[in-house]
Amino acid sequence: MSEPRSTGDDPVIDKPASIRHLQLKAGLLMVALVALVVSSVMFLLYARGAFEPTQRLTLVAEDSEGVVIGMDLTFAGFPIGRVRSVELGDDGKAHIHVDVPKKDARWLKQSSVFTLVRGLVGNTNIRAFSGILTDAPLPDGAVRNVLRGDSSDEIPKLVAAAKDLVANLTALTAADSSLAQTLANLQATSAKLNGPRGALGTVFGNDRDAQRVVTTLERANALLARLDGVTARADAQVFGPGGVMPEVRDTVVQLKTLLNDAHGSLKKMDAILDDAQAISGNAKAATADLGALRTDVDANLRKIEGLVNEINRKWPFAREVEIKLP
Amino acid sequence: MTAHTARPGGAFVLVGRQMAHWLLGWWRIVHFSAVIGVMALSPGSYGPTQRRAIARHMVLDTAPVLVWFTLLSSLICMVIARIVVVTALSYGLTQYALEMLVRVLVIELIPLTAALFVAVRCTIPHGAEVAVLRQRGALQALRQRGIDPLRHEVLPRAVAGMFSVALLAVLAGVVALVLAYLVTYGFTTWALDGYTRTVGRVFHPATVVVFLTKTLLFTLAIVLVPLGSALHDGTRSRVSAEVRGLVRLFALLLLIEAASLIDSYV
Repeated sequence: MSEPRSTGDDPVIDKPASIRHLQLKAGLLMVALVALVVSSVMFLLYARGAFEPTQRLTLVAEDSEGVVIGMDLTFAGFPIGRVRSVELGDDGKAHIHVDVPKKDARWLKQSSVFTLVRGLVGNTNIRAFSGILTDAPLPDGAVRNVLRGDSSDEIPKLVAAAKDLVANLTALTAADSSLAQTLANLQATSAKLNGPRGALGTVFGNDRDAQRVVTTLERANALLARLDGVTARADAQVFGPGGVMPEVRDTVVQLKTLLNDAHGSLKKMDAILDDAQAISGNAKAATADLGALRTDVDANLRKIEGLVNEINRKWPFAREVEIKLP
Repeated sequence: MTAHTARPGGAFVLVGRQMAHWLLGWWRIVHFSAVIGVMALSPGSYGPTQRRAIARHMVLDTAPVLVWFTLLSSLICMVIARIVVVTALSYGLTQYALEMLVRVLVIELIPLTAALFVAVRCTIPHGAEVAVLRQRGALQALRQRGIDPLRHEVLPRAVAGMFSVALLAVLAGVVALVLAYLVTYGFTTWALDGYTRTVGRVFHPATVVVFLTKTLLFTLAIVLVPLGSALHDGTRSRVSAEVRGLVRLFALLLLIEAASLIDSYV
């Protein structure tokens, strides 16, 4: 412990040690304290915006949760205003009064949009967005609605969606689910594909039918082999040296000659027909003369008939021509 | 077990007696604080002799520790600031690091550190000095000569202690603000606007009131409790009186700090 220091002159109390420039040192300390206190107070007042002219902006929100006095209004990430007070308005909505310094108010326009965003971590943020910077500036005392973007509001929806998703996934991956059965079938199919019957066994489903297809194919192969031999022989018979085709060619030549002969015969026939046509013309004329002759003959016959009739009438035995026996 | 505690109800009597003694000790400190407060606010207490005595104690209590305390608090502030900034950076929370630094360093840590430093360096030794003077009968001798020993010997020490706490706290606070900026942003001026804004946001009027009240109560506690204990403690042992004063002092500091934390954050 230090030795007692006293100001008195009592013999019981020790005499104080003298200090050079005591008043000056004490004065300096006091001046330092006052200067520090005054400068600190002025700095805090400046930091809280006490010396800068501001304009008032009122933001109307449905919910003021997370909004605290002194929080910033930011534009493009820079703080341009402070929340001075929050009150419940007569319309049942939260009225957030924001002081915006005049020098920063130029960023706020008539068309500016204000959002109140509450993140999962950290403070609530009030942000201003000015899409049209050439728009008219926001007047002092303006009242604007604030859009609320609350990420925590989305959590229940997200959880519900995730729950549905998990339920679907669970149903999908269950042991008796369609997917599991399909995979099992696929596995069996791939095993069959890798089996001795391969894809045929997979397609027909049983080994018996697959065997029948294989047998059919083998028989078809044998048939094709035989058909190949038949074709070779037919080729030799048809196109070979003593085949059908040379004879056919000779026949065709003979047929051509025959046709030429037939052509000549037909021409002669044509001439004959012309003659016959002339003969028939003559016969036609003769037939016309026959008509007149016939008329004459008919007249003579009628006269003969009349004569006969007259003889019969005059002949006494003419009426009894039949002898009736007793 | 002594004979008198073996009697029925003897334990209750003993506890009651100790409780009364404890309350009496606190009451004496409160009464002493009121008397010193009245004296400190009375212009008559600042006569030429008194002013000289106060100036002498102010210089002796503050000047030698000013540089050392500033260096020590700067070192602590730099270490804490670095830890906070690096931690915040690793967690991607740098936007909250500065506000947290200002709040933790200037509002919570600096006043308590300054008060404890002044208590250990000045006011507890002052209490011991007063206890020695009382035991040697110097205070009684002054009283017999018509000189108020409180005004003559105790008030200069109390005022010097308060002044010392105030100066150290303000100086360390300013240094902490500067260091927090430098540790966070380095030697640049481009972030001054944002930093000023952050400081302004932290020092909300309600926070400032709590901060000033807490600092004032710290100051009164570290000044008045040791002196009051030294003046009114009945024990003849100097060490026992000092220990009792220390216990009272730290209990009171803890109570004030808890109350301020509750008021600020609950």
